[in-house]
Amino acid sequence: MTGPGLARLTAVFAWVGLASLGGGRSAYFHDALVRRRRWLSDDEFLQDLAISQILPGPNFSNLAVALGYRLGGFGGAACALVALVLPGVVILLALAVVYLRGGFTAAVASAMHGMGAAVVGLIAVMSARIIRAGLRDRPALLLAAATALAVGPLALPTVWVIAGASAVGLWLHWPRASEALTPRGGA
Amino acid sequence: MGLLRMSWTFLWLSFLCIGGGLGIIPELERQSVTVHQWLTAREFLDGYTLAQLTPGPNMKVVAFVGHRAHGLAGGLLAAFAMFVPPAIVTAVVAHRWRRIRGRPWAMAVERTLAPIGIGLMAGGVYTLARSAIHDTFTAGIAVAAAIALVLRPVPPLAVMLAAGLAGWLLR
Repeated sequence: MTGPGLARLTAVFAWVGLASLGGGRSAYFHDALVRRRRWLSDDEFLQDLAISQILPGPNFSNLAVALGYRLGGFGGAACALVALVLPGVVILLALAVVYLRGGFTAAVASAMHGMGAAVVGLIAVMSARIIRAGLRDRPALLLAAATALAVGPLALPTVWVIAGASAVGLWLHWPRASEALTPRGGA
Repeated sequence: MGLLRMSWTFLWLSFLCIGGGLGIIPELERQSVTVHQWLTAREFLDGYTLAQLTPGPNMKVVAFVGHRAHGLAGGLLAAFAMFVPPAIVTAVVAHRWRRIRGRPWAMAVERTLAPIGIGLMAGGVYTLARSAIHDTFTAGIAVAAAIALVLRPVPPLAVMLAAGLAGWLLR
């Protein structure tokens, strides 16, 4: 295991968690771990992104666990989860106390609106980078575009979209009998 | 007893989050507001907005619900029930996947799931934009944030704080 060490991993994951105001956005991890620190390759990141989105549970914390496992084994996974979730939960609980005592002022609400809008710009750029790194052939591009269209503008139920897209993708990529002995290299 | 029932509710809800937490928000609201009456509909909406605009995963909204229903212990236990069990499943799958990923069928699965994962993420950007951008001011902030990130490797946190300041001063 040539990872960054648990203390460093915890610090970086906590930082990603704190920077992800505006909700859990998986793209922040690409920015922090692949672009800025080069702890992972694009392919490794994309594998973990896929695993975290297909398995049940909140995506953002699942992604942290998958990346934490890759960088530091089960200990890394545990540190990643705590570092990502706990600071936000503590902040939210503190705000909940303030809220239940009588709500927020208008100034706080407008600051929160400004941040909510900035999130959209940030994750649009980060997602575009992931798209460029991850979609290299036409089937992948079409599958991703159809999935995005279905869960975004069409607002279809996510579970059905995943089931349908998986069926199409597996049908396209499943090893044919003739290729069974010589699996495709590369990719 | 109430604590136990609440933890159990969040635990089974956590396993219904597939492809993103957004999908279970309606059911989470139904359980919290209608079925168990842990809080009012208005409080739930405000709690969800808070959870979205504070650091970390959106689904920590359950900590808000738990806190409203059972105080600090309720808040922490709710977060535990939502995040820890699926995390264990993910760690175990990540561990196993290392050993099988060389096989042809596993490669087919990877080549299928990666673009779906990217598509779900892109769809999420669209959904978030619809909820956060409603006038020229918010659109302008979003564009400015994007330009800042493209031009320089500024930390996202700095962009967020600047946007918060802009919202506070200009509104």
